[in-house]
Amino acid sequence: MPVLSLYAIGRRDALLCAALALLPLAPAGAASCCGGGSASSLVLPKFSQAMVDVSVDIEQYDGFWNKDGEHVPDPPGSDLNQYRLNLGYAWRLAPRWQASVSVPYVWNRNDYTALTSNTDGLGDMTATMWYEAFDAIQCVWKVRSPKDLMPAAYFGASLTVPTGVSPYDDVENSFDITGRGFYRLDGTMLLEKTIYPWNMGLQLTYGRYLEREVNREYGNYIEPYHKQLGARAQGSVSGGYTHFLESMASVTFTLAYADLWEDEGEIDGRTDPTTGLRKRSLAGTVAYATLDRDWVVKLSLGHALRQDGRGENFPTTDILTLGISHVFR
Amino acid sequence: MSFAKLSVLPLVLLLAACQDITDDLAPSGADERPEVVAGTVGHAVGQLAPDFTLTNTRSESFTLSTELAVSDGVVMYFAMWCPICDSHMSHMRTQVASDFPGVTFLIVDYVSGSITGARAAQISNGYNDLQVLADSEQTVLDRYRATMGTTVVIDRNGVVRMNEDYKDGARLHETLEAMP
Repeated sequence: MPVLSLYAIGRRDALLCAALALLPLAPAGAASCCGGGSASSLVLPKFSQAMVDVSVDIEQYDGFWNKDGEHVPDPPGSDLNQYRLNLGYAWRLAPRWQASVSVPYVWNRNDYTALTSNTDGLGDMTATMWYEAFDAIQCVWKVRSPKDLMPAAYFGASLTVPTGVSPYDDVENSFDITGRGFYRLDGTMLLEKTIYPWNMGLQLTYGRYLEREVNREYGNYIEPYHKQLGARAQGSVSGGYTHFLESMASVTFTLAYADLWEDEGEIDGRTDPTTGLRKRSLAGTVAYATLDRDWVVKLSLGHALRQDGRGENFPTTDILTLGISHVFR
Repeated sequence: MSFAKLSVLPLVLLLAACQDITDDLAPSGADERPEVVAGTVGHAVGQLAPDFTLTNTRSESFTLSTELAVSDGVVMYFAMWCPICDSHMSHMRTQVASDFPGVTFLIVDYVSGSITGARAAQISNGYNDLQVLADSEQTVLDRYRATMGTTVVIDRNGVVRMNEDYKDGARLHETLEAMP
């Protein structure tokens, strides 16, 4: 959440903030069960000890959907962008257990006819614990029995820590925002199946923000109140094709579709009708993996559908991501 | 397990090093509003509102003190034409403004840079029925220490009654009901 030019902050705050707030849409490479790294999250391949993932997001804002789902253009003369450097690290705790941490650093670049703002800061960090409900690699070349159709199943629990700059701390204005200011707990189910050269993925996530007290908005102390953001859910499906090069390195092409909801929040126990959001988007990814699958380089383009009814109360953005990951066996 | 523990160590060190650049991870809910001296001019609740003159998107001049002479009060919403702004403004228009016909509701556009630009944004966002002021130099934004979503209420005596984010509009409604 999406996440956050000034204009975007509106977006950011409503959302955003963030990049971390939103789960990646597209696979980073071959399925993790095949040893190629995460399919749609920072997931360590089976039998690997650790993984480092570095990526850069370039997000460009282009209008928004209002509460009624109508797409509205940005103000004339505006150019709103956010750039993020994402550092991820995953490590194995036990044969079926792994953990990961993601840390984003955010740059907001907002140009309006009347003003320009360039700010940066740490984003919201996320820590995740994954349980792998399988013991053997689930990728097959040929289906010989029903057992070969079993997907790799992961169950994850994530904690988002509001390390980013939020509207509720010592900031001057909305352009400075790089985080939402709330802790959030997410539960995720991830299913992956590869029958070479094809692969499919399904990810379902449900999250709840923790209520917090607010006594400050954009640096100004105000009468304190309690605030809670609405529950969040996201579903995404993906399908891909892997082409093997002569060297047996591989190139995987993947398309993903994602739908994100967030319910209305509460102020002092009352429903806040100005909150809540929805976003539907598509993403395409090309990932190159070395023969041993230890290195994966990926390029991804996420595209928000600009038509009316494809989202609500959320900015429409395109996100270009370039990333690289390395697995330690 | 020793590998895992070694792996966690750099992360703990990273978080410790970041302590000064992160948000407050255990925020307070204490009321820390500073005391305000009545009769002074400023942006805070209880102070006298700074006077200003801007031009609206109909190319008419708008002066705060002149408006307060004929109105029960003024509400200013600072907009940058974003999704949250739209939600707030739509809610204010449909759920609040109709209950206070004697109060002047304004949108202050501080990003479009010109009357023409503000007019275009006003129309494309569907707020042709509200008065939009073009704060092209951000002078009013600065005087009221406002930002996106800031809602300022000024009573007929020129006293600031509210200056904070719009949120769900409940405080705006309560503030307007309590105005003299």
